Parts: sequence; structure tokens; C-alpha cells
Amino acid sequence: MNPLLIAFVGVLLVPLFVASWRISLFGLAVQGLLMAWISYQLDPTLDSAAAWVRMVDLVVVRGLGTPLALYAVLRSQRATARHDVISPNLMSWTLAIALVLVAFRFADMLVPGQGNEHSFVAGAATGLLLGLLVLATQTGPFSQMVGALRIENGIAFFELGTTHRPLAMLIAQALIMIATVLLFRWYLRTLPRPTMTKVSAVEGMNL
Amino acid sequence: MTWLLLVALPIASALAVLTTTGASRASTILLVTAAMTSVIATVHAALPTEQPWFGGYLHGDATVQLFAPVINVIFTGIAVYVRARVATEPASRRFVFLALGFLAAANLALLSNHLLLMWIGIECTTLAAALMIVRADAPASRLASWRYLLFSSVGLGLVLLGLSCLTRSMELAGQAPTLFLDAMPAAVSGPADPWRELGVALVILGIGTKLGLAPMYSWLPEAYDEAPASVTAMLGAVQFNCALVLLFRIVHIYRPGSGHLITGELLAIGLASVAVSTVSLVATRNFKRLLAYAAINHAGVIAIGLGLGNSASYGLLLYVLSNAFIKAILFLTAGKIEAHYGTKDTRSIAGLIKDLPYSGLFLMVGTFALLGFPPFGSFLGELLILSALVTSGQMFVFATFCTLITISFVATGRTIFPMIWGDAKQARTWPQQRATAALHKLIFLVLLLVLGIYIPPQINSLMTHVAHSLEAP
Repeated sequence: MNPLLIAFVGVLLVPLFVASWRISLFGLAVQGLLMAWISYQLDPTLDSAAAWVRMVDLVVVRGLGTPLALYAVLRSQRATARHDVISPNLMSWTLAIALVLVAFRFADMLVPGQGNEHSFVAGAATGLLLGLLVLATQTGPFSQMVGALRIENGIAFFELGTTHRPLAMLIAQALIMIATVLLFRWYLRTLPRPTMTKVSAVEGMNL
Repeated sequence: MTWLLLVALPIASALAVLTTTGASRASTILLVTAAMTSVIATVHAALPTEQPWFGGYLHGDATVQLFAPVINVIFTGIAVYVRARVATEPASRRFVFLALGFLAAANLALLSNHLLLMWIGIECTTLAAALMIVRADAPASRLASWRYLLFSSVGLGLVLLGLSCLTRSMELAGQAPTLFLDAMPAAVSGPADPWRELGVALVILGIGTKLGLAPMYSWLPEAYDEAPASVTAMLGAVQFNCALVLLFRIVHIYRPGSGHLITGELLAIGLASVAVSTVSLVATRNFKRLLAYAAINHAGVIAIGLGLGNSASYGLLLYVLSNAFIKAILFLTAGKIEAHYGTKDTRSIAGLIKDLPYSGLFLMVGTFALLGFPPFGSFLGELLILSALVTSGQMFVFATFCTLITISFVATGRTIFPMIWGDAKQARTWPQQRATAALHKLIFLVLLLVLGIYIPPQINSLMTHVAHSLEAP
């Protein structure tokens, strides 16, 4: 299996087990940068404007801009360091690992055999399912933002394996992503904060 | 080519609103622009269909000719409402700027001959609407807006992923991947494969989220309840139809190869939506939420009709067009009622027909149309869908659907009608309602009646053409 895929899946999974918003944002940043690395490996010549737009989207928007934009807000709010993205209990952790296995099984069914295509499907399905897990178990805006951004990254990872879209469309998609992140930032600033500092250990099922 | 004005005019007007002179006349600019786009869309509906232009990215086919006048006329009604509200609550420059951006994006989505461009248009309407939902005086509206954006992002993300799967399917079949609507039928003519099935399923699920269909419908009651009435009408009658047109395009292209999947998925999410909305209709005592649940109910009926195809298609279109005008009438009326009584609790409102004669009348007539009474188009549309359920042998769906619709019928009537009749519970002072202020709703009502009694040949021809494209082979 491709080492970059292993790293991508690792960076999707590990931040779920660490109850820190900084790690969550760091995870998003590494996902963006890893995708950029994979994209560069696939097309090292970068000989088209579309390839450059995709690279800028992955490095500047997803890898650096998005995590930094959210980081600045949380830092200005002096948010407490602890923040669970999923409930910190055995049930949630087992579910997260099970979803990774389901994603790989799904990739095996859809694309029999190993190869780039299999990797893209497995990585994208992992990102999507873990993002949905976060969304399904959390009510706080920040956790939900992380869940939504994980899904966005899962989709972007899958698109690495597709042919380039028309340049104007890629630019429009990147601009939409920027507008969405700016809105996320605004919501993070203006929505009530209690859910941010709540220790979700008491909310979820404990084993 | 003049179709392009539907996008260019609102953008130019939005920029004009940003100037100092434009800011002072923001609501007038909104109204004039909406009226102009309505005229352009209506005139084009009467002209022959045009070939794609602008590099093939935009077109004006029968579906555009049918839906563009509807959403632009409804938007004009909303602009009239906003203008009338200026007397009490000045329309901010920001609101008008976003509303014009919303209109431009909605028209872009409608005119698109490319699925990704359509997706971009709908995503832009979402970003504009998310900001418009927020009311400075209502903190709960922020949370509603956030939930709206969150669900929309996930739903549209699924659509994007589905489109990627569809292009992958074309590549595997040895076809050049394309998302141009006019080129896609030829590119997907081969047998269905897992990528295609996955893509179609994801796209339907994602658009279903935008339409407020189960399972991802929970954003809708909150957003419709908390948003200003004009924005609720934009979401329910304008954006809803843009998303629906995207679904129509997918069904048109993929029904020949993936008919069973489309029918099964749409029937399942349609019936589930009718079921969950019926339970909520029985429980709610908030009239704006009630209308929101009714909107989910109607979206469910539309999904069922679309899933059936064949003889249901014409009825479906009749239902969809009627539904757009019904929602516009009811949501705008609900805004007036909320402003008057300062509450959304149905138990605190009575005697509307005496207190606010026009609003009471529109609420009454709108509710009759909502419940599918004759002579409105919704009656005939629902009847045709029910008939198609029987002829296609979907007896379980038919029986469940009839039971749920009956319950929702009683629940809606039981809650709304006491608001209209009876004696007022509190004495209120309100300037006398002017008939001209209700003119836009009267026009919607006339159009609603036209759809139920006599459909002009030109519109009927467009409806037949679009219905034919939705039928199973």
C-alpha cells in the first residue's frame, strides 16, 4: 500500500483520539499538505494552469489557510485546550476504527486489486465516513466544522485521481471553499461558545 | 443569448447597491431588477428554444423556459414584499446585495448546461442565503443559519462526489468524461456499472438534502422558522426549484440505464419524508414550523412523483409549479402575521380574517391549495401522482402515502383554520391593509388558479416537453 495513503489515513484517524482542538486543526493542515504532495507525485511537471490552481487550493487554502483561519479565532477566544472531536469512550473509538475497515472493504469491492485508484477510493471513503461520524456525534459548532472539513478533504482526495476539471470551474470551486471557510470563521466567532468548553465525556455513552 | 441578462443584470445591480447613491435606493433597485429579469424570462419562454452558447456552458431549453419565469416572478413578489417592509424595517444594503447575488446564482444554476456549473450556482445561492437567514435581533437565527450551511455543505459535497463518480464511470466505459448536459446522454448510453450507480445514489442523496428530504432534513424547519419571511420564500420557492431542476437533469440522463435505482431511492426518501413531516405536523404549534413541515411533506410527494416517472411526470410538474406559488404566498403571509402578532404560536392567534383581512384570506386560500383542494393545480397534480402509483402497482406506497397525507391534511387544518376564523384573542392596532400591498400575492394566486383550471397552450407544451424528458423509457 502507498505510504502516502497510510499517512493520509493516519492523519484522518489519529486526531480523533486526541482531545485537543489544536491537534484537530493540525490534522486538517497535514491532510491538505499530504494531498498536495500526492498531487505533485501524480503530476510533477505542473505544466498546466489547472494543475497550479489545484496545488494552490491544496497548499494555501486547505493546508494553511483553513486551519490558520480557525486557529486565530479560537486563540483569540482563549478556548480551553481540551476538545473532543468524538466522544472519548471505547464505543466511539471502536466505531472509528470499524469505519476505516468498512472504507477499505468498500474500496476492495469497488476497485478490486491495489493501485492508485484503490488508494483514492479507500482514502476518500475513510475521510467521508469519519467526517460523518464526527457530524453525527457532535453538536458543537467547532466539532461540526471539523467534521464538514474532513468530508471536504475526503472529496478533494478522491478528485486527485480524476482528470482535471476546466480551469474556470477549479477556480470557482476554490473560491467557494474560501468563502465557506470565511463563513465558518464568522460562525465560530459569533455562535454561543458553551459547547466549545464542554467536556463531552459526560455527554456520550461511557463504557 | 439575452438569457445571459438574467445573471448579468442582478450582478450589475448588486454592484450598484454598493455605491452611495445605490445604497439609499437599495429596495427599489432590488424590485426593478427582479421585475426586469421576470420580463426577460417570460418573453424568452414564448420564443423557440436556443442552442447552447457561452462555450456550451449555458443554454435555454424547455426546462429553463418553464422554470426561469416561475422563479423570477416569485422573486419579484418577494422584492415587492421587501419594499413594502421598508416602511417599518429599512432594508439594509447588505441584505439587498446578497438577495441580488442569490438571484444571479439561482439564474446561473438554471441556465447551466454543465452539471458542475449548476452545482457552483446552487452553492453560491447557499452562501448568500446563509447570511440572509441571520437576523440581528434573533440570536437563534444564527444557529439556524449555521445548521443550514452545515447541511448544505455536506449535501452539496455529496453531489460533487457523486459527479466525480459519474465521470469515473464514463472513463471506465471508454468515453470521454463530460458533464455537459447535451453530451451526457450519449456518453452514458452503455450498461450501468458500480461507479455510475454509486454516483447517481450520492447525487440524489445530496440534492435530497438541499430539497429537505429525509434523512437529512432537520435543517429545514429551523431555517424556515428563524429566517425572515422573504428569505424563507427565497429558499422554499426559488432555491428549491433550482435544486429540483438539477435533480430533473440527473433523472433525465440516468433513468434509461439506472431506472430501478432512481425509482427505489426516490420512493424510499420520498415516503420517509412524508412520514417524518406528518408526525411533526401533528405535534407543532408554531405556524412557521408547520409551513416548513408542510414543505418537507410536499418535497416528499415530489420525490415520489419523480421516482415513478411515466404518467406521474405531468402531474409532478403541475404539483411542483403550484407548490412554488403556494409556498411564496404562505411564507410571505406568515411574515406579515408574525410581524402583526409578535408570536408564532398558533394558540395565540385567532380572527385573522377580521383583523388582517388580506393576510387571513391568503392564508385561507393558500392552505386550501396546500392541502390539495380543487380547483388548484396541486389537486390535479397529486391526483395524477396517486393514479400513477396505482397503475405502476406500488400498492404499499399508495396505501401508506394515502394514510399519511390524510393525517397531515387533518393536522394542518386543525392548526391553521382556528387562526383564520373565531374572535381575536387580543386587541391589536394596525394600519389598514392596502390592496396594492397584497398585489403580488394576488398575482401568485391567479397563476395558481390558472395551473388548476386552464393552462395556456404555450405553457402546456413546455410542461409536456419537460414531463416527457422525465418519463421512464
